[in-house]
This record gives sequence, structure tokens and C-alpha cells, in this order.
Amino acid sequence: MKVLKWWWGILLAFLLLGAARIFLPLPFANEIIIFSIYTMGCNFLLGRVGFISFGQPAYLAVGAYATAFYLYYFGTNPYIGILLGIGVGLVVSAIVGAFFVRLRSDYFALVNLALAVIIFYLMEKVLAKITHGDNGLWFLANMSSTPVLNLGKPGDFFIFIFLVAMALWAFYKYLDDSLFGACCLGTKINEDKLRFLGYSNYSIRWMAFIIANTTTALAGSLYAVYFGFVSPAITHPARAADPVVVTILGGVGTLYGPIVGSIAYTGMKDLLSGFIANWELFIGLLLVFIMLAGEKGIWGTLDPYLKKAFYRKGTVPK
Amino acid sequence: MDTQLLISGVIFGLSIGSIFFLLAIGLSLCFGLMRIISLDQLLYYSVGAYLTYTIHVATGNTWLGVLGGMVAAGLVSFGVERFVFLRIYERDITFTMITSFGILFAGIGAIKYIWGLIPRPVPVPIDAQLQILGTGVPLYRLVVIVISFLVYFGIWLFLNRTITGKAIRAGIEDVEHVEGLGINVYKLFTITFIIAGILSGLAGGLHSSLIMVDPQMGLEVLAFVFMVVIIGGLGSIKGTLASAFIVGQVVSLGSLVYAPLAQMAPFATMLLILLIKPTGLYGSKLLKR
Repeated sequence: MKVLKWWWGILLAFLLLGAARIFLPLPFANEIIIFSIYTMGCNFLLGRVGFISFGQPAYLAVGAYATAFYLYYFGTNPYIGILLGIGVGLVVSAIVGAFFVRLRSDYFALVNLALAVIIFYLMEKVLAKITHGDNGLWFLANMSSTPVLNLGKPGDFFIFIFLVAMALWAFYKYLDDSLFGACCLGTKINEDKLRFLGYSNYSIRWMAFIIANTTTALAGSLYAVYFGFVSPAITHPARAADPVVVTILGGVGTLYGPIVGSIAYTGMKDLLSGFIANWELFIGLLLVFIMLAGEKGIWGTLDPYLKKAFYRKGTVPK
Repeated sequence: MDTQLLISGVIFGLSIGSIFFLLAIGLSLCFGLMRIISLDQLLYYSVGAYLTYTIHVATGNTWLGVLGGMVAAGLVSFGVERFVFLRIYERDITFTMITSFGILFAGIGAIKYIWGLIPRPVPVPIDAQLQILGTGVPLYRLVVIVISFLVYFGIWLFLNRTITGKAIRAGIEDVEHVEGLGINVYKLFTITFIIAGILSGLAGGLHSSLIMVDPQMGLEVLAFVFMVVIIGGLGSIKGTLASAFIVGQVVSLGSLVYAPLAQMAPFATMLLILLIKPTGLYGSKLLKR
């Protein structure tokens, strides 16, 4: 029973998400899940460690291009491609993070943005011979069909990313409960006190940075396998703030915020752009409104009510 | 590299640097005094550029358009300050950054709604070429450079010779003491914000004839402007001027050396400067709060 108590939130959330698969068109469901994974990294950085990053596309591109290079030039197995994407994302964020996490939050945001722009032009112009510039790399036909879940097929791909996302959410829930999660919150709220307790702010931030951006790289390699195509547009500076917007929309620092936020954001983008051309106006106003109304986001607002509804009086967990 | 190319490259860099300076000065002042990062300056820049286009179409005079753009940018910034920023001055920097990004995003939506998605051209108001060492240099670019220097001296005079300016400078050092002297700092905040908005509008108006005016133009320069502010050190006016011209030259001369580097080189420069000196060229420790 105790195990179920820990799991039930995740199970319920993913049950709903799985049920949504029946109503929603498949590309939309796939997009939502990958986008949630993408946002999760940003959400962790912003909500748990207090770092706002306007450069998440940089790490997305790292994962995507690692997978793309492997599938285009070397191999055919998409699973190995994804693992490679995660590995390269881990290495890159470990190296970059060692320098970046020393900076203050506002500088950190811009340095990340700078990295995204550098990677964009690196992929578009400087390495154009390998990346084929704006034309991108097409490797959908290169992917071999794998036995159990054939990632080339969108239906199987959905099941795969569904399981991946579920594992990831369990991992983040575990992190939230662990000592490390508490330390992350500590560096956000009061770093002096945490140092006083004998923890190193630097290494906690570094670890958090690596975890968050490896998640982002994973989302990148999932994008690559899903579309079978990667172009520099994935890290275009104009889209740099997408994950931040979705994070705020869903609710900063909440576990399910990224899922709710991506559903809302992708939904609005698809629905509103059908009716009116300028969905940015709505997203922007909504963002300002959420910030002024107490920066809780959609999930952050719903959460207390749901808890009240599901728990008996007096047993509502914090 | 031959001299002709070099001269036109330097002039191009200086004019781009001037635009960056006009945009960045507002951001820098806002950060210095109010401790907010106001990404919505990029919105006033777009508003300035679009108003220049509209007034040019209506009257045929680009200078009048630039003037109208400045006024409109000032009005919009005043409205935004009243409705949004007045409520959030007390919050931390990250908060203002996200909120102002929301404003910028909403503004881009509004611009798309009003003017449509198609990029609009604005003709250069001065066609004349000036001969410098046998190289033809467009006079308009020189005028832009001169205007930005005039603005620099204007700001300098304002901050050093008027009471309001002195209060703003004191506020950059320590807001609470200024408040303790009986000065209404919120009035100072409003004045600074509007000045920043007007200068962004001026930058947009001047830049509109050098590029195409399109809804995403704010996002396109966002990264560069921020880089200028960061390299110069947040809150320092002298630093902003220096770094704007550094960035302008790196963009312009970098593209002469090796074209793909044009957009990348300034970011690499910024990374390097920040890793060596995390507060920027002229940023002081005092600003750490």
C-alpha cells in the first residue's frame, strides 16, 4: 500500500495522459509528451534551483544533433541514437555547467542564451558541411526497425516516450523527496545557511544543472527520432523562451506543471492559431497575468483544490 | 584586407553599435536604478520602427516618423509602467525578467494584429554618400552615429547637471538613502522608465531604414542588446557605450574576416569576458544585491 501511495499521483497523471491518446490525434499527443520532457529540465532549474535559463534550446540541440549524427552517418538503431544523445548531453552539460553555475541568476540566463545562439550558428553556418545547414539532416529512412517497439512507427513511438516520461517523472518525484532535492531548494532560498550546514552550493547547483540539461538533451534526441529530421531551427534564438513560458504556464517547481503547461501551450498554439493569427498576444498576456496573480501557474492554482478534494480533512500533505 | 572594405566595415560597425547603444542604455538605466530587467524595451523598439513606417507612408517624411515613433514608444512605456511595473518593482530580478518577457510577447502579438506579418521597408531619409579616403560612406549611417553620441552627452548632462538626474544617480548607488532624503523614488522610476522607452523607440526608428521592419525584429536584436548590457556591466552608462561599439565592431569586422562568424563572434567574446570578469567591463561589486 505504501508503494502505491507514493506512485498513485504519477499513475493517475499518466493514466489520464494515456486516455488522452484516444481523443487526441497521435502527433499532438507525441508533441505534448516530448514537450513536457523538454520543459521538465527548465522547470527543475527554475523551480528547484532558482536558475532561469533562456538557453534551453542549446541542450535540446546537443541531444538532437548527437542522435542525428549517429543515425545519419554511422548506425541505424534508434535506441543507440537516443542513448548517445543522453550521453553527449550529460558530457556537454557537465563541462558547460562547471563554468556557468558560478554566475548569478540573471547573468546565467543570458550566458545560456549566448550558448544557444552560438550552437545555432555553429550548426547553420560553420559546420554546414556536416549538418547540411538549413536543409537539415534527414534520416527517417536510415532507422532500422527494432524488435519490441518499432520507433519508426508513431504508434509504437508513443508507447515508448510514454514509458520514458513515466520513468522520468518517477525519478523527479524521487529527487524531490530526497536529500538532494531539499539541498537544491536550499540553494535557491538561502545559500549562506546551506553553506553553514556544510554543503557546497557549487556542487549542488552543478549536479542539478547536469540533471536538468541531460533531461533536455533526452527531449532533443526524442525529437530527432520522432521527426527523423534535425535542422538548426530547433535551437533558433526566437524560440529560446518557449520552455520558460511553458514552465510558468504550468506552474513553477510543481511536478505535473510541465505536463499541464505543455498541453495548454501546444493546445493554444494549435487551436488559437486556427482562429486567429496572433496567439502570441494571448500567451503573452496570460504570462503577465499569471505572474501578477501570484506566479502559481495553472497546476499550482489547481493543486490545493485537488488535494482538498482527494484527501480527508486534516491529512492533506504539504 | 583592402582599406575601402575596412573603412566601410568600421562605419557599419559604428552605426550598428550606435543602435545597440541606444537600446541598451535604457535597459542599463532600468537595471541600475530599479533593479529590473526590462525585456519589453525591445517592444518599444519595434513600436518605434513600426510608427516610423506608418508615418512615413502617411506623410513621406522619415524623420517625422522617427519623432512619432519616439513619442509612441514613450506613451506605451508609460502605460506599461503604470499598469505592470509599478506593482512589481519590489520583486526579484528573475520575476521582472519573465513578466517583461510576457509583455514583449504580447506586444509582438499585438503588432502582428495591427500591421500584419509581412516585413515592411522604410526608405533611407538621406541618400547622400560621403567620401572618406576615397570610400563612399552613406551619410545616414554617420548621422546615426552622431545622434547616438548626442544622446550619450544628453544623458550625461541630465545625470550630472540636473537635480532629477543627480537623484537618479544617487538612486543607482542606494535607493533607500534617496528615499530617506524625502525624494519620491517612484517618480524617479517612472521618469527613468519613460526615458528608456523613448530611447528604445529612437533606436527602432533609426534602425528601421537600415533593415526591414518585421514583427520579430525585437527578438532578433534581443540577444545582441543583452550582450551589450552584460559586457558593459549592468547599470554602467560608460560601459554600455564602450561595449556597444565593441560588439558593433566585432559583428561588422568579424563578418569581413569570415562571414559565418558575424553572428557568433560577439557571443564568444561575451562568454570570454564573463568568464574572466563576471561583472562585465565596468560593472561594480556594488550592484550585487
